[in-house]
Amino acid sequence: MTTRDRARRIGRAGMAVTLLGLAGLAGVYVRALVYTPVERSQGAAQKIFYVHVPAAWSALVAIAVTGLLSILYLWLKDRRIDLAAAASAEVGVAFATIMLTTGPIWGKPIWGTWWTWDARLTSTLFLFLLFVGYLVLRGVITDPGIRGRFSAVIGIMGLVLVPFIHLTVYLFRTLHPAPIVLKPSAPSLPGVMLVTLMSSLGVFTVLYVGFMMQRYALGLLRELREEELAGAAG
Amino acid sequence: MRELTRAAWHIAVKDLAIEWRTKTAFASGLVFAVLVLAVLFFSRDPTAVSSQDIAPGAIWVTFTFASMLGLNRAFLLEREQRALDGILLTPIPRTAVFWGKFVANLAFVGAIQAVSLPLFVLFYDVPIWARLPELVLVIVMATVAFVAVGTLLSAMVVRTRYAELMLPLLLLPFLVPPLVSGVQVTARLLEGRPLSDLSGWLRLIAGFDLAFVTLAASLFHVVLDE
Amino acid sequence: MPPSEPVLVATGVARRFAYRRVLADVSLAVSPGQALLLVGPNGAGKTTLLRVLAGLLRASAGHVDRRAPLGMVAHDSMLYPALSARENLRFFARLHGVNGRGRVDALLEQVGMTQRADDRVGTFSRGMLQRVAIARALVHEPGLLLLDEPLSGLDDAASRTLAALLGALRDRGTAMIIVSHQLELLRDVGTHIVRLADGRLGPVEPLAGRDPVEVFARQMQGMG
Repeated sequence: MTTRDRARRIGRAGMAVTLLGLAGLAGVYVRALVYTPVERSQGAAQKIFYVHVPAAWSALVAIAVTGLLSILYLWLKDRRIDLAAAASAEVGVAFATIMLTTGPIWGKPIWGTWWTWDARLTSTLFLFLLFVGYLVLRGVITDPGIRGRFSAVIGIMGLVLVPFIHLTVYLFRTLHPAPIVLKPSAPSLPGVMLVTLMSSLGVFTVLYVGFMMQRYALGLLRELREEELAGAAG
Repeated sequence: MRELTRAAWHIAVKDLAIEWRTKTAFASGLVFAVLVLAVLFFSRDPTAVSSQDIAPGAIWVTFTFASMLGLNRAFLLEREQRALDGILLTPIPRTAVFWGKFVANLAFVGAIQAVSLPLFVLFYDVPIWARLPELVLVIVMATVAFVAVGTLLSAMVVRTRYAELMLPLLLLPFLVPPLVSGVQVTARLLEGRPLSDLSGWLRLIAGFDLAFVTLAASLFHVVLDE
Repeated sequence: MPPSEPVLVATGVARRFAYRRVLADVSLAVSPGQALLLVGPNGAGKTTLLRVLAGLLRASAGHVDRRAPLGMVAHDSMLYPALSARENLRFFARLHGVNGRGRVDALLEQVGMTQRADDRVGTFSRGMLQRVAIARALVHEPGLLLLDEPLSGLDDAASRTLAALLGALRDRGTAMIIVSHQLELLRDVGTHIVRLADGRLGPVEPLAGRDPVEVFARQMQGMG
């Protein structure tokens, strides 16, 4: 089986996983909208929470994967590892965008403003910028070897940066408490809501994996195509 | 180890000699500092915002941009006649290039900061003299952070298209912890809070410095490869 | 004179860039006292090959065994325009661990730049830059010199002086690989000639006193 065939297989498997995830997502929507009780103080708007939090979670998973694969790439120098790291970054930027858009949508009816320098939103914003920087860097470098190595450097540094950003925002918030205390954290949730949240987290993880596989396959096929074109040109 | 130090030293001295000769980056840095300090000062509503409130932000924005100017210059000067290739053809360890550039960048930014700080006091009328040693400590710690990451990133982007755009884009997320810490600590110091109150922030910057200076030095050789 | 141990051995060197194969299966060796003229059409990969041999580029495959310190003269002078010739040489000498003003002064003398030694390199003409660049390449007395179009941009007089210098170095045992289009000027320098085309190296031919221009022409005919 050629590399191309293998890539196509992974792509198809990824598609299957994604479809499974989307089905799961539909299930989560139904559960969240119909079977989960409405939160008392925030009303229906609170239900965005079941998408907002898992999206943030997926974005974090994405950067962890990109970071770890970057370390692996510098060690093993296999271009497929680099392609996987890049795939994770792209999927990560998508999930970060979801988190950053659902946040304001949730916040507007409740806080009255579109944006607030809330701890998690701010952290995710910088995570988003990190992804964007990583992807733009990849965009301006033509040679795959250099691209892989430079991306890996950003990937590793980005991974180490994430806890520092969280710490910074946390320290900042404890000195400047938010006007409204919103606690979108799991432990204080009643059972029904917790289950919905957990299911959503599971579904989003499945979606992450599915998207990753498809994006990786696409990246690999593209790389093979570039090689072919260059070879034909002599 | 001694070879490393000596080579890094020669590189740092060479960089500073070149900057001293041309002075262009230093002059731009100074002009920039004055501009930023002045604009931020005059653009606020004096009845609503006291100069003390805006002062920490103003001085740190100045320092950040001055750092960027210094960083841009550092590897650009190597590109003109490919002098960096000349350095790579010598037997010095490659990390020496990082350390040499790092030290030169620190000196450059330090010089701009040393001139900006009195200007800052002049404009904003803030009581820095009482807290000067602690202020200098936090300034040094945060600057080490910017410059370490910036030295690594500037070496990386100097070769790409849109280098002047890529550096700030990539650097920005890394500036958040030291910059926010710097502003917060400066503000509290000027309010008269003791250093012990600020241990959280100081430990944050110290940890950041340790992590990123090590990381930048270790990853630097990857960036030199073609 | 029987060739002694080679100072550089390249085996199966390949180099890819942006998916293109720039060099393929290049193998060569140079010994002390040999001056290898590297010729070939534009875009053949000659500059890339020199950079890989120098260690500035990593080979995608194959191996380069460097057995002597090397110096390089390329299209860019690898000097700092804001510093003087003397300061530049002193800097590189220090990085090579070569001490003493004496060495720098002697080099400046050797390339005929003593008078302009303290002028900023940025003010120099191409010919003067080239001379200081050679001094930079020689500062640590390398066993191997890699030269990429060393005569380009030089007038006749400067070219002849440089060619004579290279000949003298070769006679003293320095090995060299010279990329050049100007074979007539290197007539008395080259000892061997080899052609690089489309990333691949042809056979290395000893010149044995023949005119490199003729040999090259014959090689081209043979290929055409």
